[in-house]
Amino acid sequence: MLFLAVKNLVQEKTRLLISVGGVAFSVLLIMSIQGLYQGWSNKIGEYIRTVPADYWITQTGATDMFHTPSVLPLTVRDFLTGVPGVASAKPFSGRRVAFAHNGKDINLYVIADDTENNVGAPARVVEGKAVPESGEIIIDRVVGRSQDIRIGDTIPVAGRELKVAGYSEGGYILSFSFAFATKEDAESILQLPGATNFFLVTVQDGTDAGAVASRIEANPAVDAITKDRFVENNTNIVRDTFLPIILVLLLIGIAVGMTVIGLTIFTSTIEKAREYGVLKAIGVSNRQLYTVVVAQAVTAAVLGYLLGAGLALATSAAAGSFVPEFITEIRWLDAAWIFAVTLGMAVVSSLLPVRRLARIDPAEVFRA
Amino acid sequence: MSVVSVRDVSKTFGSGHTAVTAVDHVSLSVDAGDIVLVMGPSGSGKTTLLSMIGTLMSPTTGRILISGQDTSALDPAQLSRLRLREFGFVFQTFNLLSALTAEENVMLPLLTAGVPRKHARAKARAALEQLQLGHRLRNLPRDLSGGEKQRVAIARSLANDPRLILADEPTANLDAKTGQDVTLLLCETACRENRAVIIVSHDQRLRTAAKRVITIEDGRLTAEEPGEHDRNCRMHPEAAPA
Repeated sequence: MLFLAVKNLVQEKTRLLISVGGVAFSVLLIMSIQGLYQGWSNKIGEYIRTVPADYWITQTGATDMFHTPSVLPLTVRDFLTGVPGVASAKPFSGRRVAFAHNGKDINLYVIADDTENNVGAPARVVEGKAVPESGEIIIDRVVGRSQDIRIGDTIPVAGRELKVAGYSEGGYILSFSFAFATKEDAESILQLPGATNFFLVTVQDGTDAGAVASRIEANPAVDAITKDRFVENNTNIVRDTFLPIILVLLLIGIAVGMTVIGLTIFTSTIEKAREYGVLKAIGVSNRQLYTVVVAQAVTAAVLGYLLGAGLALATSAAAGSFVPEFITEIRWLDAAWIFAVTLGMAVVSSLLPVRRLARIDPAEVFRA
Repeated sequence: MSVVSVRDVSKTFGSGHTAVTAVDHVSLSVDAGDIVLVMGPSGSGKTTLLSMIGTLMSPTTGRILISGQDTSALDPAQLSRLRLREFGFVFQTFNLLSALTAEENVMLPLLTAGVPRKHARAKARAALEQLQLGHRLRNLPRDLSGGEKQRVAIARSLANDPRLILADEPTANLDAKTGQDVTLLLCETACRENRAVIIVSHDQRLRTAAKRVITIEDGRLTAEEPGEHDRNCRMHPEAAPA
């Protein structure tokens, strides 16, 4: 019966186009939003993953770099290096700084590039200097492009004029981005005399890391968070902020797709009611007829999915080159679940036409 | 055993004082090779009777046996299978599927019955060629004349080698000459292959194709007389030369 479904679809080209277009729009919407969510989630964790640490030591109760402030006295380092199993403990300083430049609000997360301890360097420098000197700052290329800040420009960061010395990559996180200044400049900006925000602890080889963390947490002033957990805590910011929006857009996308497929297949079923009656009369079972309707919806959905997915990939690539903040990552896993959702949409939207089909009286075919 | 046995069948639509009896205690037997023409004025119950024989409508009282099988004992799925296996339908408005070619329309009952696609295509092609439609295999219904459409419908009705063909006003939408040709074609095919045919029509000219002519008025069978089939069917040696 698949051939009849395909023939019915092809016969009504305008309706097929509407149906495929509706699904394609729905898939484009869902896939783009999911791609953005995934892209941003990855970006936010990308820099943190490059930081060399087994554990992030935070002020008790602090769980991430952005939502929960953490300030620790530098003396904590002595405690940490004294804990059996700790190989190294290095201070990591950084916090968000907002300022205006060329009439635009700019948010940077300024990190102290501590060359002495080899902590706080950019993940990748793609242009200009790799290490800032006094009075210099390295910013993310996305910010440079979107805010038109060029290498050599001077920007006012927390009352200090810093010259942009280079562009880094992989540190753009939604509304702000990582920037890197010398330890001294950062301390001046961050106003942390005798203190830092975190310590990065590495554990000696062959040592039970969990036991080391327990020994560190015996100090009530600090928490020890594994690197993976710390990445996840920071990534959750994107999830918590965007997941509700994504769910709403997902529902809108599904509603649009289902409405378009449902209506087009339903009107087609009504228009072809007599033909379905003929099929019933000549002995085609209801189940076979349902298969025709579902196959029509699924075929339209698959075509719409292919078109929508292609458009999503093209749009992401094109938008990313024009709008640097548009960071997307469309994974096979996401493509697979969106495909499953599309098929689900097709099957659910067939229910109404199938109900109509069930009510068609084959005896009607004898009426002229 | 009769192909069709209608036993004291009635059909009433509605209830109470608005009830209308469309078929009233009708009994009828049709054997293999029979070509029965059911005639009567509009509203006499012809089509209702045909619908009940075709298991598209159930009687209010009485029983209908198809090849000895009581249709009232069958569920909808079994009735579908029975129609697919035992019946061929020819409709007044042809009722070809508009999205399918002539060949595909004839293939449809075969594919529904599970015949492999290749065999279904070969059989549909042979049937259409036998009805002089070999040059119209790939044409959609909209590209066919009325007579051609009805011949495709006849080919479709014969596709699964049914024992009974039910035709509802098969000539109503055809000109006189085409109507007569199509009906003779249907009846000759039925005669040659020993199938039973029940035709419902107003068209008096169809008497020439029928073996039995039954008249129905106000839902009751009022008369039965022999038709003129044997004088006209080319399958019979006594037929008058065309």
